[in-house]
Amino acid sequence: MNTRNVLKVIKYEIVSMMRKPSFWFFTFGFPVMIMAFTLAPQLMVRDSITEASQTLMSATQGPSVPYVDLAGIVETIPDDMKAGFRQFPDEASAKAALDSGEIPHYFLIPADFRQTGTVVGVTEHPSPMTGINGSGPLDYVLRLNLAGGDPVLASPVAQMEERSLAPASGASVGTEGRPSGRDAGMGDFLLPFAVMFILFFIITMSAGFMLQSVTREKENRTAELLLTSLSPRELMLGKVIGLGAVALFQMGVWLGGGQLVLVGGAVAASALAGQGLSLSFFLWAIVFFIFGYVVYAAALGALGALAPNMREGSQFTFVLLIPLLIPLWLNNVFFNDPHGMFATVLSLFPLTAPTSMMTRLAVGGVAAWQPFAALAGLIITAYLFVLLAARFFRADTLLSGASISWGRIAGELKGR
Amino acid sequence: MAEPIVSIRDVCKTFGPVRAVDDVSFDVYPGEIFGLLGPNGAGKTTTIRMMLDIFRPDCGEVRLFGKPMTEAAKHRIGYMPEERGLYRDQQLEPTLHYLATLKGLSEAEASRRLQKWLKQLDLWDSRKKKIQDLSRGMQQKAQLIATLVHEPDLIVVDEPFANLDPVNTRMAIDMLSEQAQQGKAIIMSTHLMYQVEAMCHRIVLIDKGRVVLYGPVDQIKREFASNAVLIYGQADFGSLPGVLEARQENSHWRLSLAQGATPQGVFRALAQQDGARIERFELAEPSLDDIFINVVAGDGQAPEAANA
Repeated sequence: MNTRNVLKVIKYEIVSMMRKPSFWFFTFGFPVMIMAFTLAPQLMVRDSITEASQTLMSATQGPSVPYVDLAGIVETIPDDMKAGFRQFPDEASAKAALDSGEIPHYFLIPADFRQTGTVVGVTEHPSPMTGINGSGPLDYVLRLNLAGGDPVLASPVAQMEERSLAPASGASVGTEGRPSGRDAGMGDFLLPFAVMFILFFIITMSAGFMLQSVTREKENRTAELLLTSLSPRELMLGKVIGLGAVALFQMGVWLGGGQLVLVGGAVAASALAGQGLSLSFFLWAIVFFIFGYVVYAAALGALGALAPNMREGSQFTFVLLIPLLIPLWLNNVFFNDPHGMFATVLSLFPLTAPTSMMTRLAVGGVAAWQPFAALAGLIITAYLFVLLAARFFRADTLLSGASISWGRIAGELKGR
Repeated sequence: MAEPIVSIRDVCKTFGPVRAVDDVSFDVYPGEIFGLLGPNGAGKTTTIRMMLDIFRPDCGEVRLFGKPMTEAAKHRIGYMPEERGLYRDQQLEPTLHYLATLKGLSEAEASRRLQKWLKQLDLWDSRKKKIQDLSRGMQQKAQLIATLVHEPDLIVVDEPFANLDPVNTRMAIDMLSEQAQQGKAIIMSTHLMYQVEAMCHRIVLIDKGRVVLYGPVDQIKREFASNAVLIYGQADFGSLPGVLEARQENSHWRLSLAQGATPQGVFRALAQQDGARIERFELAEPSLDDIFINVVAGDGQAPEAANA
């Protein structure tokens, strides 16, 4: 094995991939697109909130946080917020102010607030999209007072879920506050699913680079020229490593970007807010990606060595990727019972481990030995797949224009 | 004679039930242009691939530069395959640069040499273009650069003049001849027999995987020559001693000679004939085209000497 040749191939694969505008567009454009689809509606909603609030404030000239504190909880209001708050002694006086148009809405903090955590917002102009203006400041003030006036303890952003209590009448909108934090249900579903999807997507895509690269050299007739300078195995190794590095970079951009979004709170209003990913999770993701990629790149590289062109190769790709698809198809198993027998088996089986184990790790609570066991199996499988692919990566297969068939694949596997 | 650069001994290769190459042997020496000829499917490309270590022969031995193939020897070979191979969706210069560095050149040296070659072959202005955007002639020239940029000692070219116009064909011929004059060995596989006649010193003709002709071009032509002479001019050819038949063909006469008669005897008799006007006198040698068809079509046997 000539290391210099392998390094040349690695460099060429990386550089030629990075020269493609489509690569950069995909690397950065794809997550931007996803983020745009996720964030744009939220930004629009926030803009609407601000706009509605400004309109309302200018129309009524009233305070934005009128409230009735039956629980006797609001003792402290920061000085810079005091101007926006107006306390009513009872609900009747607040209702009267609302009816007279003096205030656009008011908040009722019931006497059992400490037990229920529920705040009721009352308005004559209910808007399920924008909610009630002032719920944010009130939420903070409630937190501050629950924390005994300590602004540090009060600082985590609480999500105030706004729900209509009497949608039929249209006269009032109830607001249920959850000072304890976020809505965990959606977040618990979305984050593991996102991890599973990203891992699946990036492994299949990067392994697809391998198929594309090999068939391209067959179609362009470059393979014969290359084989006068290097061996088929040097070519294969260079491609696997070079394209793997490109894919790793792409994964870094995507996962890193995702982390920034999550931690940065850009989607604070979404169910993912507050769900940062730990460093160890990232390390596991990288390791599972690398070996998952090697397994599938070796498989698709072998397919590329046999296929006369990309079109024929693609027809067999789906079958090779089925193991990676299984966890996606059965994603309910991971969300309903992430540590049940089925999910555990899938996460330990080498061909399904890259997506399955990472999904379970995103959920949390995986027994410590399991990721190591899954990784060990994956590494052994990757090694065996590379050996197997090397059997396909021969000069006569690379230079052959013969059509691919299951019979031919079986024959190659048997060494015929 | 110098040590051969290529020495192939009794090589054979089988693909499934097909014996693609069967007991082929030949040598190629420094400074010669060697023709590797044969009909389609004869086994030429397989022979080349075994020579270049792309395929391993099932039997026999291939020696390059006096030794079995080594990593260093690979860098001394330039190969232009029949089915041209360049990345069509990549820019010209980086592609050539990659191929040059795979042949052992450093990055800087590859850049320096490419600059020279691209300018020499009028491709400098197109160096940033994708290869698929180049004309077929330009692609062919690019392929020539990939073959020669690392200054190989053995150059193997398969149909080197395909897609080239007459001007560029002349340029490619000159370039290959120049390489041969510098002591490089050139193996040329082509179906253009007139190019072989014009350029090659020796040939090997392979048919159905076996060598059917091997030797110097002149010698082969002589051995396939019938006992006849071609004469341009006017004389009483029919009365010459030893001439069986004198037949006019276009602008010359073909004289078939009797057994035992020699062209020299005919020439002496003509010189003594009054009123004879001779412009040109030559042996009636067949063209390589004729020999190729004759041997491959099976209606002619290669003379023993030519198959040595």
